[in-house]
Parts: sequence; structure tokens; C-alpha cells
Amino acid sequence: MYWLASGLLYRRVVSPFTKLDPRIKLLIAIEFFVLSLLASSVIGVAIIIASIVAVAAFARSLRRVGRTVAFSLIFATFIFVLNLWIGLGLLRSLTFALRFIAIIGSTSIFFITTSPDELEQIMKWMRIPRDVVFAFVTAVRFIPVVMLDAFQIMDAQKSRGLELEKGGLLSRVRNLIPVLIPLVVNSVIRSGELAEAMESRGYGSTPKPTSLYGMRLRWYDKAVLVLSLAVFVLALYIYHFYTFPF
Amino acid sequence: MTFVHQNGVKALDGVSLTIEKHELVGIVGENGAGKTTLVRHINGLLRPTSGSVLIDGADARGTSVAKLSRKIGIAFQNPDHQLFSESVEHEITFALKNFGFDDALIEQRLNWALDFFGLKEYHKSSPLILSGGEKKRLTLASILAWDPEVVVLDEPTVGQDAIQKAKLLEIARTLHSAGKTIIIVSHDVEFLWSLQPRLVVMKRGRVVEDGPCAVVMQERELLEDARVSQPQLVALYESLSRRPASPFQDVSQALSWVSGERR
Repeated sequence: MYWLASGLLYRRVVSPFTKLDPRIKLLIAIEFFVLSLLASSVIGVAIIIASIVAVAAFARSLRRVGRTVAFSLIFATFIFVLNLWIGLGLLRSLTFALRFIAIIGSTSIFFITTSPDELEQIMKWMRIPRDVVFAFVTAVRFIPVVMLDAFQIMDAQKSRGLELEKGGLLSRVRNLIPVLIPLVVNSVIRSGELAEAMESRGYGSTPKPTSLYGMRLRWYDKAVLVLSLAVFVLALYIYHFYTFPF
Repeated sequence: MTFVHQNGVKALDGVSLTIEKHELVGIVGENGAGKTTLVRHINGLLRPTSGSVLIDGADARGTSVAKLSRKIGIAFQNPDHQLFSESVEHEITFALKNFGFDDALIEQRLNWALDFFGLKEYHKSSPLILSGGEKKRLTLASILAWDPEVVVLDEPTVGQDAIQKAKLLEIARTLHSAGKTIIIVSHDVEFLWSLQPRLVVMKRGRVVEDGPCAVVMQERELLEDARVSQPQLVALYESLSRRPASPFQDVSQALSWVSGERR
């Protein structure tokens, strides 16, 4: 459980990729995302997955992206079986399943290599209202805290004889109630406390607060920007005009 | 035994500890010393990376948390991490149902717990509207209700006022005299001093001292090293003993004098 959840969290890793301007990382993720949607053959999607793996390795986050992808395999298998069952054929079903994995990989590469601070900067750059940005970034930042709460609650309830993995599907869902209620209650209490603490430290006192850090494209970012756009256009061309054997 | 977290941090480093039946044990040490990690091993919430945990002489490795918990009740620090039911009585009976108690016994244990912890008037109330002290007592009630042989209290006095602390002290004393094995993890040295348990001092995942509270609490340098403060009485005795005309021969004499004065 912890193994899975930790795959979704941001952890600071120093690599040439993580040092990129967050907008460039977002662009690369979007490019992968678009190509995953366009690719309509097994080989086409497999090439994209291989490229994502290469970028993840370059970002020194291969293991963490791998964890997220490993989790998505459950859903990918479901997609594969469902498509096969409705008669789409082996190759198309496999393409859909792989496409799902590629989409998960492309988005996780962005979230795993981008800190909540960088997310905040991107959203501000997109002129999203400050309160919305703050709410979103706080939610992301609090995932580890809520996760820790969830583990502690599970421990407390297991110590009272609750067996989370016992019984059929329905009783397993029912078993989650003693975990979910304290989790929600704690989160609501914490959000109230956080709001008070923020207000006590002057949040909202000025309509246009200044930023400690700003985003600036360096030569390195610009070079990656040009390169990624060139590869993207080339890939678009290939995917549009070339038909892969399967 | 040794326990290494998934991130590679060694939380317990060669801990060897035997706790006898009916013993009263206090565990102290700085934040991150491994106190809570150690007690989580007792009911199997954590399993040692190397070494073993023996309960009644049998290795706990293959036994589920639910099964071990029937014998060992752990009251965690934060009541908000466990209270979820719509009423106090449902909160208390939750574990009893999990453990498969019959209805008559549930009724009997519920009434005992409500009485013992002074919660009778709230039995239909939501646990979430109770005060901090009442929530703490409800947490204890929901654990003591199934009558575990061993009771582990993790930081029982955090956020409790003087009256609640006195109540908790009384509860711990009563349970111990009723024959329960009590293990208390706490930073509150005054609380532990009042109970005079066997005291285990931990530092960086190791047990650095283990002995009677009155003796261990006099080891100033060791305690300072483990970032544990001495109880006020011991500190007072030590400063008095440095004067030529000290009224006490040792700290236990000072302790009995203070106890006599209080009475």
C-alpha cells in the first residue's frame, strides 16, 4: 500500500530533466499525451512508451514512474479484456491498453518531476485565480499528510480487530468506513486550522502578493523546447503518413 | 530485534526487551528514538526486519494483528485517528463485535466501560462532540472494553489538563492493580514519576537504560543525553543534596516525604 502511494508523491531528485523550467516539462508531457492519443497501432504506442521510459530514466525517476505504471497495469488489463470481449480484436485491444499506460506514464512523468511550488508557478503563469491555485497546490502538498493520517487510522482500527482484507467485495468496502470517517473528519479539522493559520499570517491582506521565485527560460530550456517541438512535429508527421505493420 | 523503514532509516537497532506479566513499564526518549515503533511491534502492526517478537513465548510472526490485539490493546496518541461511530456506545462496542463477543457479554462490557471511564451520560452522543479529555477516555474505554491482558498507552497525557491527567493516573493505577500489564510511552516524566514504573530509556533506536524509575531518573547525564528531563522532585533533591545540610539521604526518602505531605 505504502509502496503504491509513494509512487504518486513528489520527491526532490536532482537531474537535468527536473531542473528544466516547469513549463517545458508540462509541454513534453502534453506532447507525449497527444501522441499517445494519435498513435493507432501497437508499434506506434510502444515507441511512445519507450520514449517515456527514456525520459524517465534521464530524469532519474524510472523506478517511481514504473510504480505508477505498474499500478495502472490493473486498469490496462481491464481495458484489454473489455475491448477483446466486445470484439475489437487482439491488436486493437492491445493498442487501447498500451495507450492507457502511455497516458498514465506521460502524466506521471510531469507530476513526479514537478514540485508543488513549480505547479503553483505554472498555474499563476496561466492566470488562474490565486485562491484556486492556492487550493489546488495545498491539496497536492497535503497528500503525504493525509496519507500518513490514513496509515495511522488503519493501524488504530486494525488494533481494534478490524480486518480490512477480510470478506467479499461488499464487506471490504464496508470495512473502509472506520478508516474513511476519521480521515475526512481530520482533513476537515485540519483545513479549518490551516485557514486560520494562513489568515493569521496575512493571507489575503493584499490582492496582488509578490512572488519569491519567478520562472525564466534559460538557454538550456530554450534548447530543450526547440528540440522537443522538432521531435513532436516529426512524430506527428510519421504517425499521420506512415502505417506501422501492426 | 531490528526494524528498518522502507526509506532505509533504522528505527530500532538491536533492541532486546522482556516484559513480564503484570509489569508496569514506562518508555521514554527523544522524538524519533523508536518508542512508538517499538510498541507497534507488540501487536504486529510492524514486523521486525530481523529478530523476533515473542508473545507468551510464541513467535508473533505468523499471527494476525487482529488476533494479537485480542491480547494486547494499544491506545494511540490521537483519539481523532480512531473515533468514527455515530455514538459513544457504538464506538465502544466496535472492537467487541470484531472480536466476536456475544450480545450479553457486549452489553456487560459496555456498561462496565461507560461506568469505569465516566462516560455514561454521553452514551448516545456522537464521539466527535466530546471534549479532548472525554475523547481520550473514550479511546481507552473502547480498548479496555475487550479486557486485553496487556494495555499499551501511547502518549496518554498529550493535550490533557491537570484534572484529566489525574484521572488517567488513577485509571493506570487501577488497571495495574487489577493485574494488567501496562506499557506507557510518554514524554511526561511527572506522570511516569507518579506511577513509578520500570523505566526504559531509548535513544536512536536502542535501549540505553532499563531499571526502576526512582533509580533511572537520577541518572542525569544519561537522561540529558537521551533528551529526557528529570522530574522536578528529583531535580529538587539533587540541588538540595549539594547543600551541606540536606534533609534527605536519597531520592526515595524525599519521595516518601512528599507523598506524606500530600496526604
